[in-house]
Amino acid sequence: MALLEVRNLSVRFATVDGGTVCAVNDISLSVDRGKVLGIVGESGSGKSQTWLGVMGLLARNGRAAGSACFDGRELLGLSHAALNHLRGARMGMIFQDPMTALNPFLSVGRQMTEVLQRHRGMGRREAEREAIAALEMVHITDAPKRLGMHPHEFSGGMRQRVMIAMTMLTRPDVLICDEPTTFLDVTVQRQILALLDELRQRFNTAIVFITHDLGVIAEIADRVIVMYGGRVMEQADVHTLFANYRHPYTEGLLRSVPRPDVTSHGALATIAGNPPDLAHLPAGCPFAPRCVYREPRCDTQMPDLLDVGPDHWRACHHVGALGKLQAVA
Amino acid sequence: MSEPLAPPLLEVDDLSVHFRVPGGGWRERKRVLRAVDGVSFNVAERETLGIVGESGCGKSTLARALLRLVPTSGGHLHYAGRDLLALDAAALRPLRRELQIIFQDPLAALDPRMTVGQIIGEPLRALRADLPRAERHARVLAMMQRVGLLPSQVNRYAHEFSGGQAQRIGIARALAVEPRLLVCDEPVSSLDVSIKSQVINLLQELKAERALTLVFIAHDLASVRHIAQRVLVLYLGRVVEIAGRDAIFARPMHPYTRMLFAAAPIPDPDAARRMRAAPVRGEIPSPFNPPSGCAFRTRCMHAIERCGAERPALRALGGGQVACHRAGEWLAQPFAPAV
Repeated sequence: MALLEVRNLSVRFATVDGGTVCAVNDISLSVDRGKVLGIVGESGSGKSQTWLGVMGLLARNGRAAGSACFDGRELLGLSHAALNHLRGARMGMIFQDPMTALNPFLSVGRQMTEVLQRHRGMGRREAEREAIAALEMVHITDAPKRLGMHPHEFSGGMRQRVMIAMTMLTRPDVLICDEPTTFLDVTVQRQILALLDELRQRFNTAIVFITHDLGVIAEIADRVIVMYGGRVMEQADVHTLFANYRHPYTEGLLRSVPRPDVTSHGALATIAGNPPDLAHLPAGCPFAPRCVYREPRCDTQMPDLLDVGPDHWRACHHVGALGKLQAVA
Repeated sequence: MSEPLAPPLLEVDDLSVHFRVPGGGWRERKRVLRAVDGVSFNVAERETLGIVGESGCGKSTLARALLRLVPTSGGHLHYAGRDLLALDAAALRPLRRELQIIFQDPLAALDPRMTVGQIIGEPLRALRADLPRAERHARVLAMMQRVGLLPSQVNRYAHEFSGGQAQRIGIARALAVEPRLLVCDEPVSSLDVSIKSQVINLLQELKAERALTLVFIAHDLASVRHIAQRVLVLYLGRVVEIAGRDAIFARPMHPYTRMLFAAAPIPDPDAARRMRAAPVRGEIPSPFNPPSGCAFRTRCMHAIERCGAERPALRALGGGQVACHRAGEWLAQPFAPAV
């Protein structure tokens, strides 16, 4: 059985003018131990809200509906205390900007030992030893000295390491990483990706990796979910997705990015138009207004997510081949 | 087919920008941050020069220094044969029309209290006061149309636009006065994937139409590889390598260039997993206290004693320029050694 099963999850936000923002619409997915699930999408695709909904961390005007089953236990509707306990002990989350998650007033050591004393019932001495071991685990040198330092004394990459060390203190079963390397330089990003992969192998942790960067997805993910307008557009293992994508939006994403390893000439292929307004989603497929394969029914009817190969799913009415989007060579 | 080399439009010679910033403690002396430290390069007319490097390497400071938006501490800067650093504000003003810039965060770069028409029209009002008002307005509308905005949106405010559209406004504002040199400081970094390629294409079209010279600054190697003809790599405020686009990507000479290129994620799972072997050593040192000699030596597995004792000069090598004592040794080998 999968570690985390999400079924028909929707996330809605009430707006001040009485409207509704449909951030996530009817999403189903599963997360397996020891695997990396990549979630790729642009701003407003619902890639972050899906997980905030699962974790019970939505803003006050948000509501999640559907089901999210973690190791046999339903998360939606759990009490605040029960959720807090689960989140602390078994589900970790790291964010784009570690400064928003670290307390600027407390030393890194104090923040780490607090977690251990609270969730693992350790005494102070033992917690300190464990915190040092955790910092060493994420390859922070001179760990005993670093324990007394405050978050602002670390560089961006080091701060993200501290964040990962802190999250790993309770050996969570699943680590949800929301664009953890987006603010970092590529060299530091490479180090953080290698570290996450190392931890996954060592502790069999399930990793959910949310990003807009297809290069990072190619690098780290086992399975990939492509989201747009709060819906799943395509889902497959990483090799199938890149080599044999079947959704026009996936094609657009893959075709329109320049690559660091290939010199492209002339104009890049583009996806015309702008990302959708979640308060006014079209009745049919959210990608239809920008899609070069659009058919009349795309505007009125959301296509179901159907399998198009072994463990390969997509939501699209278009039956013919793709390939219209080619970069002008 | 070799064209005769046009004289450079922009000549940068040993340019430095140093900032004096307060020390760490309450009694400590001010420290000097060498954000740009003896940088030299040329940009030919109608060329696109890409500048890459990590945060804190001095990319944005250099961009601002090229337009004299920050005070320089030393060196020379010539634009179309004129000594930019010798000009006073009044003498510089007519040149401002020819030198424009677009910024990374398009919304932050636009005044929230001005309409799009006012934003795009402001440089025209300031720098082309000779034009009649109606002519300026016509230019604003034409510029909006050209960058893909609807002229009917002229009275809207910047916050009503998405990031991609806001960057189009920034481009329209910069190009309204018909500059010759456009400095692009991370123009697509904050844009969504599907919008990035639209803006890159727009910049390339405008460059061709208007015979622009571009200085394109980015940390994203892929867009630099696509748009630039030559690439300059900065590390801790210094140039470590300059070479033609094809040469530098086929065969980066400086160990830092190689490390940086190897770290870029590739959107191809098979290629990407092969690259995983390439390690990145250490972190970028504090710019307040850069290593002696070669600034990269603390992270370089090829560093020798000389690298700590003597700062390597930028020298011609294999068609480009490299600041590395050992790069010559690798030129003879079929492949440059691993980082």
